[in-house]
Amino acid sequence: MLCKTCNAEIPKKATRCPECGRAVVKPQKYLYPIAVTGAVISFVGGLFPAIQNSDAMKKFNPAYGFMNYEQPMVWYLFMLLLVASMLLCAFKFEKFSIITTVTAAVVYGITYNNICMRHGAPGMQNGLAGPIIITGTIVGVIGAFININKFIADRKKEKGEIEYQYTGNKTIWQRIYIYRGFYLMFLPVLIFVLIFNYLPMAGLRFAFTDYYSGKEPVYVGIKHFVDMFGLSTLSKLSHKNFLNAFTNTLSLSIIKLFLNTFMAVIISLLLNEMVVLRFKKTVQTVIYLPHFMSWVVVASIFKLILSASDSGMLNQMLMSMELIDKPIEFLTSENLWRGVYYVVNIWKDTGWGTILFLATLSGISPELYEAAQIDGANRFNRLRYITLPALANTIITVFILNLAKVMNLFESVFVMYNPSVYEVSDVLQTYIYRQSFSGGTANYGYTTAVGLFKSLVSCALVLACNRASKKIRGRGIV
Amino acid sequence: MEDNVKKAVYVKPKRKITPFGVFNTILFIFISFLILIPIWKVLVDSLDAAAGYGMRLWPQKFTFGAYEMILTRVDLYRPFLISLLVTVVGTLVGLILSTLGAYVLIQWDMPGRNLFSWMLLFTMLFNGGMIPTYVVMMDLHLTDTLWSVILPLGINVYNLVLMRNFFEGIPASLYESAKLDGCSPMGIFFRIVLPLSKAALAAIGLMFAVSYWNDYTNFKLYITNNKLFNFQMKLRSMVMESDLPMDDGSLSPNTLQNAAIIVAVIPFMILYPFCQDYFVKGVNVGAVKE
Repeated sequence: MLCKTCNAEIPKKATRCPECGRAVVKPQKYLYPIAVTGAVISFVGGLFPAIQNSDAMKKFNPAYGFMNYEQPMVWYLFMLLLVASMLLCAFKFEKFSIITTVTAAVVYGITYNNICMRHGAPGMQNGLAGPIIITGTIVGVIGAFININKFIADRKKEKGEIEYQYTGNKTIWQRIYIYRGFYLMFLPVLIFVLIFNYLPMAGLRFAFTDYYSGKEPVYVGIKHFVDMFGLSTLSKLSHKNFLNAFTNTLSLSIIKLFLNTFMAVIISLLLNEMVVLRFKKTVQTVIYLPHFMSWVVVASIFKLILSASDSGMLNQMLMSMELIDKPIEFLTSENLWRGVYYVVNIWKDTGWGTILFLATLSGISPELYEAAQIDGANRFNRLRYITLPALANTIITVFILNLAKVMNLFESVFVMYNPSVYEVSDVLQTYIYRQSFSGGTANYGYTTAVGLFKSLVSCALVLACNRASKKIRGRGIV
Repeated sequence: MEDNVKKAVYVKPKRKITPFGVFNTILFIFISFLILIPIWKVLVDSLDAAAGYGMRLWPQKFTFGAYEMILTRVDLYRPFLISLLVTVVGTLVGLILSTLGAYVLIQWDMPGRNLFSWMLLFTMLFNGGMIPTYVVMMDLHLTDTLWSVILPLGINVYNLVLMRNFFEGIPASLYESAKLDGCSPMGIFFRIVLPLSKAALAAIGLMFAVSYWNDYTNFKLYITNNKLFNFQMKLRSMVMESDLPMDDGSLSPNTLQNAAIIVAVIPFMILYPFCQDYFVKGVNVGAVKE
């Protein structure tokens, strides 16, 4: 074998070129056996029937394996994709096999969903196909994933981006054996993540069903999404409520984000000018304080203070100053609720938001200010040409970090709103909560669909923010 | 507070008093008052048997009656004890999971480490949402038990990554030499990593404790048995639905509501001034370091 840079002959087992020291990339040996095994298992699983013991099944041609249910075309597609995966691996294009394997998995998922939901009639049992195919696709995807990872790592090594890491002559199995204790340590975390994060993701299938509490889910396709986006003529109400909640979510959280960031910047700039250190520390302690109160406590405090009765402090104060004649209903008025909400948010979180800005400001070298002062810059000029440019990066960071969270608005609204202001205060999460738990016949299917929409938008936002963050400050947020 | 300022200014007479400085000081005294007055008002009303008039900033009929009531009535102190229990157990669970996970994530050479890392990070990107999680809790028969509020908050990927950042600050040479001396992975974890990251444990433990103590959403979703309500739930029903215990009429309902608010915040208000630095440290490490 020859070195790519200096064309010198390289001994067989060397990891570096003896002449120029360039890392040697061995001919690619990926773990395609895992990917192939997965595809084969899935393929075999596809030959088994998905549903057994069903009278309804007799009507259909049982020759279609797991798709013995109205969708032979999908079954063909599934099997072809798996064959493609195997062929890709066989011809050393194993890095592409993840595409076909994942597509096959998606196809299977959708069909499985259909079968379970539409024909969950009594007397039917799931056949052998399900477990086998699921095992197979998981193995296949993991195998293909490892291939891709290795491929990317090798590419980086080729470009010299990462140094060849010395792991001795140990094979992957030996390394797994060395780290066996760590797998045990990770087990509890893995179990928690699987149960509380990944199991609910599997529950997203309810978005395509009518699911009433205590009953079995019934497959209805994309009916709920049609309802949500107002494409059906039947349910104008759910469209209106959904749209209202969606726009409220965006406007409430984005305006809140702007206001909070703006206030935090102003406060930290002013606080930074404070020369008496002890006073500065005390102020910091005071303004961080509300952050540690729960939203329930904050809502309770403001409910008592803003109350329209005799005990309401603000109303009494305004009345004694003769600014108003009768008490204002701050929390139940549609015009005022949003203002109150923003003010309460500023009260609670502005102080806490200054932490990062203050840390940045204290990092600016005082020599810069002295030099500027000697050059005759006044206070405003120093702010304009030294402080703000130094702070800009942090402002953007904070903004991006928070922008990724805008869809998650829930508790702050939930504890402060009330039926008379739903129009201006209802956000997606509270809408989901009310639709699901306000008694009566709640359709979990519909609310899951709204939740799925929320999750997707939020995911897109996080990815966009991540990309923006990578561009602006060189590293992502996740 | 005003006294503090004057003292500080007088002690160092060299400092020039500029109009801007005076304005700034007054502004921050005003801002501090804006934050403190609502809290002060709640405190005053909780000590005033005749609370009910908005403009009063000093108790008219001083009494500890409301606090006595919370301490003696079982339907009022049970929620407090439940809050305490959930906070202690939850913080322990959270700390154990974050340290274990973080320690595994810094093993760069471990096969599958990247897969684990991506598994955790993906949950920050996408989640099942409220209803599927609720259905999972129902299927596991966790609803209406305290596990349903302890377990889901225990795995917090953000805190785990924070912990990993702390761990990465420990010099690699320490691990190497411990390994050469024959220390097992567990031994390294208990004898080197944990003792060196006491500050991190304090900071992240406090973050967990705050989130458990202030938890309302999980209780609202998963707990319907009012004997298992925590103090936030109780406070909510006392203030919003005026669900107040019957008494002899010596206290105004307002007094009791205000006292409940004070009780709900008192643990962290006492703890906070001593731990402020840890909280601030946690925030800074999270955003500044990779």
